[in-house]
Amino acid sequence: MATYPRGNSRLRALAARLSGSWRMSRSNFELWANLLVIVAAAGFMLWRGPGFAISVGTFVAIWAILAVSLNLLVGYTGLLSVGHVGFFGIGAYTMAILTSNPAYEQLRTEALPIFAWPFFAVLPICMAVAGLVAIAIGVVFNRFRDDIFVLVSFGFAVIAFNVFLNWEGLTRGAFGIHQIARPAIGPWVFDGEVEFLLLVVFFLGLVVLACWFIVTSSFGRVLAAIREDEEAIAVFGYRVVHYKLAVWVISAMMAGLAGGLFASYTTFIDPNSFILLESILLVSIVILGGLSSIWGSILGAMAFVLLEEGMRFVPFLPTEFIGQARQVVLGLLLVALMLFRPQGLVGRYKL
Amino acid sequence: MRLLSRKWVVPFGLLIILVMAVAACNGQGDKPFRIGVMESLTGPGETYGNVALQAKQMAVDEINEAGGIDGRMIELVVEDSKCSAQDAITAYNKLTDVDGIKIILGTSCSGAMLGAAPLAEKDGVILFSGLATNPDIAEAGDYIFRTSMSDAQLGVDTGNLLWADGVRKLVTITEATDYAEGVRRTTVAQFEKRGGEVVGAERYASDVTDFRTQLTKLFGENPDALHISAQAEFAGGTIVKQGRELGYDGPIYSEIVAVGKTALDIAGDAATGMKAVVADISPENAKGQEVLTNFQERYGEITLAWYLGSAYDDVYIAAECLKETGDDQDADGFRDCMYEVTWSGAIGENYSFDEKGEVVGLTNVVVQVLPAAERTVDNQGYNVLGSAPSE
Repeated sequence: MATYPRGNSRLRALAARLSGSWRMSRSNFELWANLLVIVAAAGFMLWRGPGFAISVGTFVAIWAILAVSLNLLVGYTGLLSVGHVGFFGIGAYTMAILTSNPAYEQLRTEALPIFAWPFFAVLPICMAVAGLVAIAIGVVFNRFRDDIFVLVSFGFAVIAFNVFLNWEGLTRGAFGIHQIARPAIGPWVFDGEVEFLLLVVFFLGLVVLACWFIVTSSFGRVLAAIREDEEAIAVFGYRVVHYKLAVWVISAMMAGLAGGLFASYTTFIDPNSFILLESILLVSIVILGGLSSIWGSILGAMAFVLLEEGMRFVPFLPTEFIGQARQVVLGLLLVALMLFRPQGLVGRYKL
Repeated sequence: MRLLSRKWVVPFGLLIILVMAVAACNGQGDKPFRIGVMESLTGPGETYGNVALQAKQMAVDEINEAGGIDGRMIELVVEDSKCSAQDAITAYNKLTDVDGIKIILGTSCSGAMLGAAPLAEKDGVILFSGLATNPDIAEAGDYIFRTSMSDAQLGVDTGNLLWADGVRKLVTITEATDYAEGVRRTTVAQFEKRGGEVVGAERYASDVTDFRTQLTKLFGENPDALHISAQAEFAGGTIVKQGRELGYDGPIYSEIVAVGKTALDIAGDAATGMKAVVADISPENAKGQEVLTNFQERYGEITLAWYLGSAYDDVYIAAECLKETGDDQDADGFRDCMYEVTWSGAIGENYSFDEKGEVVGLTNVVVQVLPAAERTVDNQGYNVLGSAPSE
């Protein structure tokens, strides 16, 4: 771990700027107003149907893991990646392939191996596979910066999707994989929705802790310095490449974890869950919540999923136009949010 | 900007709460039968989903105008399942948990169906689709029904047709989606079982618009016939057009997508003579023709004729079973009724459901595309040659 050099004025100025961002110095009025709306929406859903609220809550927590991990890259290190969904998919497919135990496979013309391993044994593998892929491509991606990095991460998302779609011997291609295992400890299966929600929230807690640890450590300060001025920090002898690779891999592993949870929760996945659009949504969640704010990413995921699911309750729409009308309202709300709070719900920086 | 934001956030929040509160109160009155509908209203399957929803709404309005079921109206509660497992799960939970619905008509996409089916099976909720064709759905459970025919049936019929027409060397071009790929696999399986040989196979992603390279490669194998399996009409029509432009003059076989209206418009005269195995509303089926006429009148345009008929029939079958059980909360009674019911509607006569919830008594037909000048709205651009050869 790098130590923090005291004698340099430029770094000290940087540090002062950064530590300022931790203090909640600004008026928190907007934050509380936003929170109030979200809590009201969540409460409303709980009141109307607890089961529905729980399943929405589970997706919120999974998206929150993704958003927090992406924020490590986008917010804290300044690497704008739109390839995050690739790692999410790798985690999901690892979980699906290793735990799926279908009783029937009418279209399975190739004899695919069935592993049927337990969930908790596979979850670390999901993270490991995502991490290994991240190392492999990270070595190459590290050569790129700024706009070019966005483009290559875009390329990664497209390639990942096409691998899911076309490597039929492994992923069953467009048919998807079903009968993915739910977690079980001995005889106790996490079949109920509440147990699964608690499990996901537990992992979200771990991810948040890990992120908090990273961004407050000296490692995190170097990441912030990379975001502010990569050359400057390199001049002081930091191997920028190593730091970027490390955070890239950590972030990918967290996305792999989210993927494993997602596959297990839906029990069915196909490549359509891992299209590029999901990545764009994820980046919007991070920006919506606020760059370099863990809390902001969680809030962003909540706001986004609750807005979208809340649209199901908008009344007075003729049935023929329901789907489209909801999309329009959602889009308008997002535009309004960005107009009034371009720095995100609790963020400090604009992109 | 901050001041503005401070001023507006509270009224904005209150507005959302108000809207939701109004939504909460919006559901009182006399007691209609409440049926859930899950379709892909946005996203990749939206053409299918919106047609299905329109057909269902039309059927419900007809039933309600005729006095409902023993005086009780039908009310549809519509949710968007977006062709994805995740959205199908939240849509399903919203319908069952918030609206307390036990009978759901949907979905339009197999992926969404396979996402929600395990939940429906566990909770004992009916999931009844008019459009999902993935063969795996047959095994999804006791509460899962469909009037759409499995891809497996279509593949067997197409394989037999190819063999009966004297095709021995086949090349295939397929869109990489579950439907198109399912059609290709089952077709090829049956064709090879009969003794045929597949000498070339190409796949394309859904956003591709130029197929010349792939087609040139396929035609280099000197095939007896080309089989097209597409998910989108645009691609289906373009393949036919580009194939003929490359000088291929052998027979072309396909399924319903490549003989859809948009596909035929794109292909023009290149499609003339092309054969397809489709689920089709027979011209002799008076009920089917009446439904199409009404649909044309109400919405101005007919797309996916068979699927809209299927979605339309689903509502009437559901109404029949609701009449018998008299309770929209009685999913078990509804399920038992479904296994008993024999129905004659828009898509066929005297069809019923087997022990897997699969429709039996419907058949595919072979159609041949007419020259561009002879295509009309009434003949949909093709001649019906008769039912597919069995052996």
